[in-house]
Amino acid sequence: MSEAAGNRRVAGLAIESAAPRAWRASLAVIAYGLPIAFILLPLLAFLAYSFFSVSGVTMSYTPTLMNYQRFFTDPVFLPVFWRTCLLCLEVAVLAVGFGYPVAFFLAGLEGRKKYTLLLLLMVPLLMSYVIKIYAIRSILGGNGFLNRALLALGIIDQPLTIFVYNLNAVLLTLTALLIPFAVLPIFLSLERIPRNLLEASADLGASNLQSFRRVVLPLSLPGTATAATFVFVLAIGDFLTPQMVGGLSGFTFGRIIYSQFGTAFNWPFGAALSVILAAVVILAIAAGTRLGGRQRGAS
Amino acid sequence: MIRSRLVNICLAAITAVVFIILYGPIFVPIVSSFFVVKWGNVQWDQTTLAAYVALAHNDGILEAVKNTILVGISAVILSIVIGTLLAFHYQSGRSRGRDIIQFIVFLPFLMPPIITGLSLLIYFREIDFERSLVTVIIGHTVFVLALVYRTILVRLQALSRSMVEASYDLGASGWQTFRHVLLPHLASAMIGAAVLSFALSFDETMITILVTGTDSTLPIRLWAMMRLGFTPDINALVAIILALTTALCLIAARHLMPREAGARSA
Repeated sequence: MSEAAGNRRVAGLAIESAAPRAWRASLAVIAYGLPIAFILLPLLAFLAYSFFSVSGVTMSYTPTLMNYQRFFTDPVFLPVFWRTCLLCLEVAVLAVGFGYPVAFFLAGLEGRKKYTLLLLLMVPLLMSYVIKIYAIRSILGGNGFLNRALLALGIIDQPLTIFVYNLNAVLLTLTALLIPFAVLPIFLSLERIPRNLLEASADLGASNLQSFRRVVLPLSLPGTATAATFVFVLAIGDFLTPQMVGGLSGFTFGRIIYSQFGTAFNWPFGAALSVILAAVVILAIAAGTRLGGRQRGAS
Repeated sequence: MIRSRLVNICLAAITAVVFIILYGPIFVPIVSSFFVVKWGNVQWDQTTLAAYVALAHNDGILEAVKNTILVGISAVILSIVIGTLLAFHYQSGRSRGRDIIQFIVFLPFLMPPIITGLSLLIYFREIDFERSLVTVIIGHTVFVLALVYRTILVRLQALSRSMVEASYDLGASGWQTFRHVLLPHLASAMIGAAVLSFALSFDETMITILVTGTDSTLPIRLWAMMRLGFTPDINALVAIILALTTALCLIAARHLMPREAGARSA
């Protein structure tokens, strides 16, 4: 195929015909160079670091598996790791538990109202993360709104401190922050269910509950799996929330990683822990995609 | 969807609770920004605008806001330019290299920000690149690039080839075709992506905290202040930011909505 014919065929792109060679070369340099220089190389450097070690303040660039070994053998890290995974699963379940009914409610609304409410649900995402954490902490605190409400309702007779500076606080705060991420995918999967399927189900004599269980729920499972994955991944990567509301007992994996780059000053070990975090995230995404994919295949 | 009245009421109630959970943490500081705060308690009977006046004199915060806007605008411009080039490059042929590059571009968006932040931190240290606002801009560009690239690519793929071919047949040069055929078509996608990435950059905390030097952006400044507790002018700032982000969000939503019909008749 001649060069000219090639250019014609991919006429999708204007830039190809005027100054083909120079343009195409510089375009390729940018297209390959920048992502490699600023995404791939940093990631590789980071991966390499996890095999280095540090003694005192000097880095040793001799490859070693010491960091990974330390993670699996030291009695401190594994329990925190599992506890964090469990915590983030709980956050995912809670967020989906709240998100599903909301998405279901929105999907049932008519026209404009539906999208306005959806947009309103997303607006808080654009609001400063740090300020939201701070505000939630003050709501959960001893003198906060939650305790005052419980006191006023007569459910408790003195302020509780179980909501702040521990893992409960991390759980509640992360859930409150991440609910919108759960609503959106579920809403989209509910929107995609053709109406005539529901009409058919009703015509065939199914009750509302039966229609929901047999038609709506299975068809919305892929979206629900995506929602849970989103929330889990966002929760496990967060180190600011636990740092802020977790106190001394609310130690999470993300916080340990962050501390390796701050007070503990052991970058290689921190890099190794992050590689483990990345592995968990990849597993979670794979599991979410599979769950969603299989359900779609079955239906 | 068909459902009974009772179910609907329950669903509406849960939705209301979720709205309270989401908006509570935003409205508490906003409402209290209009009242006098004494010893950490809001005096509900004394309204004031003192918080807004104090904000205007808080140089540290204003400096941080300025940095944040500078970083945001730079990251938006860089990511729009690079994202457009990447989209064109992806569109202009088929090779495995393109898919690999696309995957690399998506990585920072898929991975937790802490990983993007840490890898850049290590990288900058290894190549002896001093941490400053420049490194923050690079971090933000890397973070929002996937979103910008994807938005522009989708719009580019929706453009029918015959338009470009027609432009060539009528004797337009490559640049003229880009300027008069492609750019108008891509403009609304670019604006939408720009607004959304500015919003993401404005609030980016986890990458920034790792790659910043001595300059702080607003979230970093707030993070540092949080230990001591916020002063009332922070409440005022929250109110202003909410108003602005809501406006930006509405603009982005308008531009990201497909306007096929409008674009075609134009």
